[in-house]
Amino acid sequence: MDKIIEQTDIDRVDGIQKVTGTAKYSAEYDFPGMVYGVLATSNITKGIINAIDTKAAENAPGVLAVITHLNCPELPGYKSTPEQDKLVPTKKGYKVFADNIIRFNGQPIAIVVADTFERATHAASLIKANYTKEKHNTDFDEAIKSGTPLEGNNFKEYVRGEANAWINAPVKIEAEYTMPIEVHLPMEIHGITVVWDGEDKVTLYEKTQSLSGTQRNIVRTFGLKEENVRIITQFIGGAFGSAFNTWPHSMAALIAGRKVGKPIKLMLTRNQMFNLVGYRPEAKQKLGLGASADGKLMGITHEAIAMTASYNEFTEGIVNGSRSLYECPNVNTTYKVFPLDLSQPTWMRGPGETTGAFALESAMDELAYALKMDPIEFRLKNYAETDLERKKPYSSKYLKECYELGAEKINWKERNPEPRSMKEGDWLIGYGTGSGIFSAWRGAAKAVAKLLPDGTMILQSGVTDMGPGTATAMTNLAAETMGLSHTKISFEMGDTNLPPGPMQGGSGTTSTLGTAVFAACENMKKKLAAMIKDNAVFHTEIVHEVKVEDLVFENGYMMLKTDKTKKISYAEVIKSAGLSELEISEDSKGNPMLNHSAFSYAVHFVKVKVHSKTGVIKIDRAVSAVDAGKIINNKTAESQIIGAVVGGIGMSLMEEGVIDHRYGRWVNNNFADYHVAVNADVPNIEVLFVDKPDPVLNPIGAKGMGEVGIVGFAAAVTNAIFHATGKRIREIPVTADKLI
Amino acid sequence: MINFEYIRASSVKAAVDALAKNPTGGFIAGGTNLIDLMKRGVTVPTRLIDINNLPLKEIEESKTGISIGALAINSEVAENELIKNNFPLLSMAFAAGASPQLRNMATVGGNMMQRTRCTYFYDTTMPCNKRQPGTGCGALNGYNRMHAIFGTSEKCIAVHPSDMCVALAALNATVEVSGIKGERKILFTDFHRLPGETPDKDNTLQKGEIITGVTIPFNSFNKNYYLKIRDRASYAFALISVAVALEIKDGIIKKASLAMGGVAHKPWRLTDAEKYLIGRPVDPGHFQKAAYLAMKGAKGYGQNNFKLKMVPIAINEALTKAIA
Amino acid sequence: MDKNLKKEGRRDFLKKSTALAALTIATPAIIKAGENDERIAALFEKIPLNLEVNGVVHSLSVEPRVTLLDLLREQLHLTGTKKGCDYGQCGACTVHVDGKRINSCLTLAVMNEGKKITTIEGLADGDNLHPMQNAFIKQDGFQCGYCTPGQIMSGIACINEGHANSREEVQEYMSGNICRCGAYPNIVDAVMQVKKEGSNHD
Repeated sequence: MDKIIEQTDIDRVDGIQKVTGTAKYSAEYDFPGMVYGVLATSNITKGIINAIDTKAAENAPGVLAVITHLNCPELPGYKSTPEQDKLVPTKKGYKVFADNIIRFNGQPIAIVVADTFERATHAASLIKANYTKEKHNTDFDEAIKSGTPLEGNNFKEYVRGEANAWINAPVKIEAEYTMPIEVHLPMEIHGITVVWDGEDKVTLYEKTQSLSGTQRNIVRTFGLKEENVRIITQFIGGAFGSAFNTWPHSMAALIAGRKVGKPIKLMLTRNQMFNLVGYRPEAKQKLGLGASADGKLMGITHEAIAMTASYNEFTEGIVNGSRSLYECPNVNTTYKVFPLDLSQPTWMRGPGETTGAFALESAMDELAYALKMDPIEFRLKNYAETDLERKKPYSSKYLKECYELGAEKINWKERNPEPRSMKEGDWLIGYGTGSGIFSAWRGAAKAVAKLLPDGTMILQSGVTDMGPGTATAMTNLAAETMGLSHTKISFEMGDTNLPPGPMQGGSGTTSTLGTAVFAACENMKKKLAAMIKDNAVFHTEIVHEVKVEDLVFENGYMMLKTDKTKKISYAEVIKSAGLSELEISEDSKGNPMLNHSAFSYAVHFVKVKVHSKTGVIKIDRAVSAVDAGKIINNKTAESQIIGAVVGGIGMSLMEEGVIDHRYGRWVNNNFADYHVAVNADVPNIEVLFVDKPDPVLNPIGAKGMGEVGIVGFAAAVTNAIFHATGKRIREIPVTADKLI
Repeated sequence: MINFEYIRASSVKAAVDALAKNPTGGFIAGGTNLIDLMKRGVTVPTRLIDINNLPLKEIEESKTGISIGALAINSEVAENELIKNNFPLLSMAFAAGASPQLRNMATVGGNMMQRTRCTYFYDTTMPCNKRQPGTGCGALNGYNRMHAIFGTSEKCIAVHPSDMCVALAALNATVEVSGIKGERKILFTDFHRLPGETPDKDNTLQKGEIITGVTIPFNSFNKNYYLKIRDRASYAFALISVAVALEIKDGIIKKASLAMGGVAHKPWRLTDAEKYLIGRPVDPGHFQKAAYLAMKGAKGYGQNNFKLKMVPIAINEALTKAIA
Repeated sequence: MDKNLKKEGRRDFLKKSTALAALTIATPAIIKAGENDERIAALFEKIPLNLEVNGVVHSLSVEPRVTLLDLLREQLHLTGTKKGCDYGQCGACTVHVDGKRINSCLTLAVMNEGKKITTIEGLADGDNLHPMQNAFIKQDGFQCGYCTPGQIMSGIACINEGHANSREEVQEYMSGNICRCGAYPNIVDAVMQVKKEGSNHD
């Protein structure tokens, strides 16, 4: 398998567009008569809009329309069925301008449309609403104390073997870990450009990780025909999970654009990025771990509590990793979610697992210390050879190799395990490790490959790319599979007019789309071989008919394996057949993985320096060893892990969403107060790939890597801080004040 | 943002006159804070007087010190040889502030005039006595991690966010201002004020006055250090910063000037600590005592309680680094 | 008078007003705009602006409240300069004004009268990319590409300012540009590469 896909790391195929500023993001299209939409938002947290004064805004210069719940058109998707009426509020969702109910602070109450951005912005500030306030709660601690958790199938307790078995183990620890709200904050502010063609046909330039999902949502909400809703997403300026949903602002722009009958552009503000496009929910987790004196795990109990919005049941697999990362006969997990009067959370890089791994991997470190065992040795002692949760073998698992590669790179054996024992001048030195696990999977998608008479190839699929380099990886894959220079391949994507591609995310894009692209290329080769089977070029005394097995495909030529001088170019085949193109369409059917469990793995090693007096923390080195199956393009793959680690640095040391619960309002919703890592925070990050193909998941051998690169990283940092200082910090982010 | 009248002034007098004609107007120089505030509706001037063309950009040496024009750009001052050689503390403070881009825009006068970064001040739906007197202080019982521990009042616990100003306070600078009634000088340490009952007033500038420059007297400080502790390695406001300028001769501290940022409504001079240090030998024990003395009157408000512990550590560390 | 002001002499409205109060008034009509309701006359809302962007001279009429960033993106359709926060907190909008890097979201367009602006679109010479652009591709100094124009403008300035003497210095002087994809180490590699290869090209 791995012979087919040789490694060559091509540069990003969209690199030139990105470095010259010609790459177009969703709010960067221009159409004649373009108008601007700006949202006005609520300044109460819960209640009812009694009245809304839009006069000043309507009379402001350049204003074309103001839309509120009072004049929002009846949309097919806004009508609720009697069944929907019976649902609990967390299942009902929230539709922009559908009613006068305020569910969270900063909720859109109006969209103002004007001929310039400045005029729309100013007019939106003139909207005044009169509310009846209701008592709100945005405080997670308060909800845990006096609220009621959600009920349903998502919250079933999991028990394997005996529950709470850790309590009876000879060596045990119990600890609680907390982490705050984290926000995706991609650099591109969510934006949308909407161009209606009449009332029933629309083209959207939308920031979305799922073209088909967005199309479906709009078809449903506006009652349009699928073929009349076209979504174009050429570039996404990062998302990390924030661009799966079709958010209220996009619906607002659609509603407004149809009303004014002009192309409309709407870009949120950075402040609005904190409460209108999701976030990673706050969580509290209690871990009980017990082991035999020689370090064999006897019980894991993982209890997680998280939060969601009052109108949206968001759940994620926070406790899942604890069920399958280690070999342990007795595991029980619980997961509770409390609704709050906040906007809804959503998936964020490594959803669930990242939160869970912070707790599990911190607890594993604590237990290793209690056992006086090396943390890596302890993990190896409890290495899971099969998935005990699903009772299945793994499709592939090279976690052991990750431990070994990473430990060697960071020189783990030179680490003195004694906390506060290593120093460099005024700085305390600490080494820590944390492991990550994330599901690998393969979904359904279609790819089309077209070979043209000039010998070039076009690949097509309706996927989007938020930054990992999907087009680059697919070009790389097709080049190697087809035996064609990558410069002769172009990948067309980001348009619902193309064959339906997979979503971008969940660490499944390469696995899914790669399967379809690979199949298309393989079929293309068969087709080409069939077309030349009688060609005299290949004939020898023994061979009168060539089969695909007899050929090698290199540099745009089919060559006889036994005699490479006998060859014919793809271009010639297409030309002499008189074809304008040779088109192959292939599906990835998805892989239900009935007989295996599939995961990607990462092991992070971190060296921290903590200033012995001021408590200032620096990440001095980070080494991440990753089993993501076969690596398609080393360059972009390495960048993805580096990026995930940078996210992990932010998560562990500085990122914290803060809400003033008295007002239910965000107080650090900007880049000056909500800190993400800057260049000076980030050391050289060393990435190591095991780079062995998964033989089961898909024919290309790739698993996934976007998520797993951040899973377990925060624990590696806090474990390193413990090693450096002797202080166990169970609440991230760890800021200097927690260490003095 | 409302649209506004925009005027370019080409002399100090013209600028002052233009403002006098429209008291709801304001001067704009670098714009790095003012435009931010205007976008959020915190400041709503109806007339902006662009003063960037005023001849106030020079850095000049006199017999007694160096004067810096109010419109000198932060990055240029930081890299200026006269400044680097005579006031390394100031260059260090500049380098610790904002980002290279912002330092290329911000002026010395504008840096002094920047408003607090308190979140309640910025969010016009929240209470804030500084933005809207009488509405209360949101930070007092709220999000106050970044807030003041010295010189606070129940009306306001905001801090002045500048790094440059901390160094200028330590360097005994003087501010030159010009107004309708003429010119006057203000000691830098008297320029910014404590909130008291009127936190809406950041400084002692009179209505209609414009900063024309800052003069720093030559000094004999031979040990300087600017320590900034923040929530990330760069491009963040200070949790705490300490400016240290010492003259040490034969192991004895002859002169000491210490100021802090991130702890008060103004750059906070540590006069008790200075008095203690002067005349004493360089010794860790004395540094500790000085740091302890500096804490007189400190008060935490919850989330910023850590500063009560971190401030003496930071003073001690800055002194240690200065003599290293 | 500094040199910027001298350049302004070309403009009609300036000639009218300089002598009287040494006050350069945008247009006589503008005076009234602030005193009356903004709505009364569109005429009062805009003032003339001359600036040079990527070598092209523009004579425009803009509202004073329009930032340089919004002017570039929405009026000149130079969308290579990005809006990442609009508050000077991210660096995505970094452009060069008279050769110096600044945040274009925190300067009013009208404050840049007579100035030379260089944006990401002005770096390449036809198909020949600027060395910094090439280095970003080679070092994979980006993922989503949204902060990239700002990073590149900053990277060039970082070298021109003489602040690319070590990795640590580059890290500090590139910290005004946030990259949420986390391409920082590769960005430092790119700046160091260009510094090493030597480039005076701006």
